[in-house]
Amino acid sequence: MSTERFVIIGNGPAANEAATTLRQRAPQSGITVFGKETTRSYKPHLLPDVVAGRLDAEKIFASPEDYYNERDIQLRLGQKVVQVDFNKYQVILEHREVVSFDGLIIATGGKPRIPEPLEVFEDVMMTLKTTEDARLWIDRLARVDSVLMIGGDLTSLSLTRALINIGKKVFFIIDAESFWPLPFNERLHQEIHARLREKGVDVSSSRKIKRLTQLSDCSIQVETDCADFEVGIVGAFFGLVPDVRFLARSGLDIDRGILVDENLQTRFRNVFAAGDCAQVYNPVIRDYWVSIGYDNARTLGRIAALNMLGGMIAAQASPESIFSLNGVQVNTSWWMEF
Amino acid sequence: MPKVDITVEVCGMAGDGTIAAGGMINEAMSSGGYYVLGFDSYPAEIRGFGRCVTHSRIGSEEISALQEKTHILISLNDEQSRSRAPYLDNGAMVFFDSRPSAYITEDQSLVATLRPDSRLFGIPFSDLATKAAGSARGRNLTALGGFAAVCGIDPELFRHVITTKFESKGQKVLDINIKSFDAGYDYAHQRFSERFDRLFDGLEPDQGPKRVMLSGNYAIGKGAIDAGLQLYFGYPITPATPIMEYLAKALPSRGGRVVQMEDEIASIGAVLGASYTGARSMTATSGPGFALMTELITHGVMAEIPAVILDAQRGGPSTGLPTKTEQSDLHAAVFGGPGDSARIVIAPTNVSECYSFTVKSFQLAEKFQTPVIVLTDFFLDNRVENVPPLHSSESETRNVNVFPNDAQQGYYKRYSDTPDGISPRALPGMKGFNHVATGLEHSEKGAPDYSPENHQKMSEKRHRKIQSALSDLFEPEEFYGSSHHDVGVISWGSTFGSVLEATRQARQMGHNVAALKITSIYPYHKDTIRAFMLKCNNILIPELNFEGQLANLIGHLNTGDVHRLNLVTGSPIPPGAILSEIVKFVDGGSK
Repeated sequence: MSTERFVIIGNGPAANEAATTLRQRAPQSGITVFGKETTRSYKPHLLPDVVAGRLDAEKIFASPEDYYNERDIQLRLGQKVVQVDFNKYQVILEHREVVSFDGLIIATGGKPRIPEPLEVFEDVMMTLKTTEDARLWIDRLARVDSVLMIGGDLTSLSLTRALINIGKKVFFIIDAESFWPLPFNERLHQEIHARLREKGVDVSSSRKIKRLTQLSDCSIQVETDCADFEVGIVGAFFGLVPDVRFLARSGLDIDRGILVDENLQTRFRNVFAAGDCAQVYNPVIRDYWVSIGYDNARTLGRIAALNMLGGMIAAQASPESIFSLNGVQVNTSWWMEF
Repeated sequence: MPKVDITVEVCGMAGDGTIAAGGMINEAMSSGGYYVLGFDSYPAEIRGFGRCVTHSRIGSEEISALQEKTHILISLNDEQSRSRAPYLDNGAMVFFDSRPSAYITEDQSLVATLRPDSRLFGIPFSDLATKAAGSARGRNLTALGGFAAVCGIDPELFRHVITTKFESKGQKVLDINIKSFDAGYDYAHQRFSERFDRLFDGLEPDQGPKRVMLSGNYAIGKGAIDAGLQLYFGYPITPATPIMEYLAKALPSRGGRVVQMEDEIASIGAVLGASYTGARSMTATSGPGFALMTELITHGVMAEIPAVILDAQRGGPSTGLPTKTEQSDLHAAVFGGPGDSARIVIAPTNVSECYSFTVKSFQLAEKFQTPVIVLTDFFLDNRVENVPPLHSSESETRNVNVFPNDAQQGYYKRYSDTPDGISPRALPGMKGFNHVATGLEHSEKGAPDYSPENHQKMSEKRHRKIQSALSDLFEPEEFYGSSHHDVGVISWGSTFGSVLEATRQARQMGHNVAALKITSIYPYHKDTIRAFMLKCNNILIPELNFEGQLANLIGHLNTGDVHRLNLVTGSPIPPGAILSEIVKFVDGGSK
């Protein structure tokens, strides 16, 4: 397949590792990477430090600006794929452009999950997944003194640490489903609770959000089942869901993420999925597993690319730096830092 | 306050409303207090074919040239706009139709060609315009709405321009266009969180008179009217036609007439006839038409009849490149035609000079009784600048005919051999001043005389007259001058704007560079030019012609070679190209 045209949807660690691997192994091929964000690939786990002003926003990029150009990888940023036609092997972009491919790697990653009861307050709450989110946090934090964190995923813990460091008052309502699709076990729940309190965070694990009301640009009224109070920002941190909604009618097998075999191949020939958007079949446990975390995503991206070029490499369910949560592997590097 | 210096391009297919959109950007930003230099490039064919591009350079300081890089591209047609991708600056903003009427392939897609750092603003121009106004025709205005919203430009500036442009077509038409603009503005304002509200900040309060947006052609037409033009004879030709169109509307109300002739030969003939009677008259043409006029122009030289001829240069030879700019008629303007037919040739360098030089050309023609050729070019004619209101004084427009005095009645010598070569001119009907005006070589009285002595004497007289005009012509103007320069850049016409910018940039880089602007092409100020050349180790003459026509004319004044930069790309010479040449000479090379 050395002269074929490969398309990669996504611009995160899995996507870019896949692109790099394809270029190394298939130097004559055409490679196009579509990213719906406008920035080149970055390390999202560094965003809390950017928000806290401890890290320059320019320092979080995963590779130099000329990286793609030097490797003859066409990087198309700010261009959203809205449909894939697996009969014609074409992706269709939001602006009605049709791009044909011989091989496709889907590595769209995840997007912030908002639990259904809180969806009605989505516009009032902030998340932290992208550089644009970080910009909004920086902008808002300049005008507020307090933040309510709801959830408890890895990003929230890292961001809480950053907020405390810059002198913000942090409230925290821990939600048992923050590691969705996996619930906290009791031990982990208690450990998080204790560590947050040690840091001076006002923690509650029992409150339910009844209502959030935006009073002004820098004030939100929070009504819970226990108490009412005002904060400057409400952040929602319930983990990520695979960003695959645009593929719902494509014919791909999708559960929460794209279902792939142990070689990361979908049900379509030359179509692979890697990173947070994939649910990988493990023939040992005869079930699917999910992977999160930067390094894991890169590993899966590389495997997808190698298999696209004829390899038969199985993704390992237990890579390094993995935390076991109810028997499922989760990268815990952020948590460990906290 | 940071300096604003932003180039905006609108690109589309002919018929997309591209030129109109670009014009509205120019008007809106001008009324917002910015300096604007705008230029359109479009195909030679009529509506419906080919690529149209408008370039608008918008700044907080005076602008003399276009930039090489574009900061903002508004695409009304992706397939056409792909050609603009190489000219986009790093991080350029690109506005495009995110919902084209049909699916497009990669080779039709604009965004497929862009650098990753481009900032994309997809707006469904057609859908929004159709929804807002019932028709997609206003999609160019929808695009402007998006541009205004993202760039933080007061929408009232655009609404005012739209109102001015469409209110005469009725409320319904005006409403459709305002709605189309607002649809784009509202969509972009809500859709894009990344906006650049301070992009156009940096404007110092301007205490001067309110500036007006004019094209070179409009300024020429206005200059002619202010100079007292009575009769215009012409034949349509790109890029001079807008002059006739303007005068056809404006001149009759001032008592003048515009007559479209059957061709250019008839046009110059009519101008000479009218001028012979004392009426101020002119024609405007381009290279091919000028070629047809040359025989009669030399008739004006020989018969010593005033005439104002504007040659709006375009790419040549022959029909050439009708909608592309070039400076390749200099030889023809100075030397074209049979015999030794010296005439006055002047060349403005910007829109204000298009006005003032046109005004001046009538007095030059009258006083020196000769055809005066005003050399412009496509870029100069079609570009727009916002300039202070143009006006001229009585002394600049008054009649300067040199009439005979009564003592000469009865023995009047129409072509008397005077020290400055100017012979008092009697107009038809002046009693006692009978004479013959002829293209034949003639005696002082006007009678045919082919004797060697007479031809020698009258040739000397005519050339002496032209040389005597030097004192009435604009001296070359030196910029950044001092006692010595590593490089001196000499230029004429619209290229001077690029030279000025390149020189300024070179000096900011620490190079000892100066520029000399020459507007009097013939006769020219030999001593001034030679003095400038003597101060410079290297002389560079950039021109938009292949042969180096100004360099051919004045190069002999330099003690060494003159370096030439000759581009015939159909586009203005980029300042960067001149700067590159300058830099080559800075570290070495001497005359």
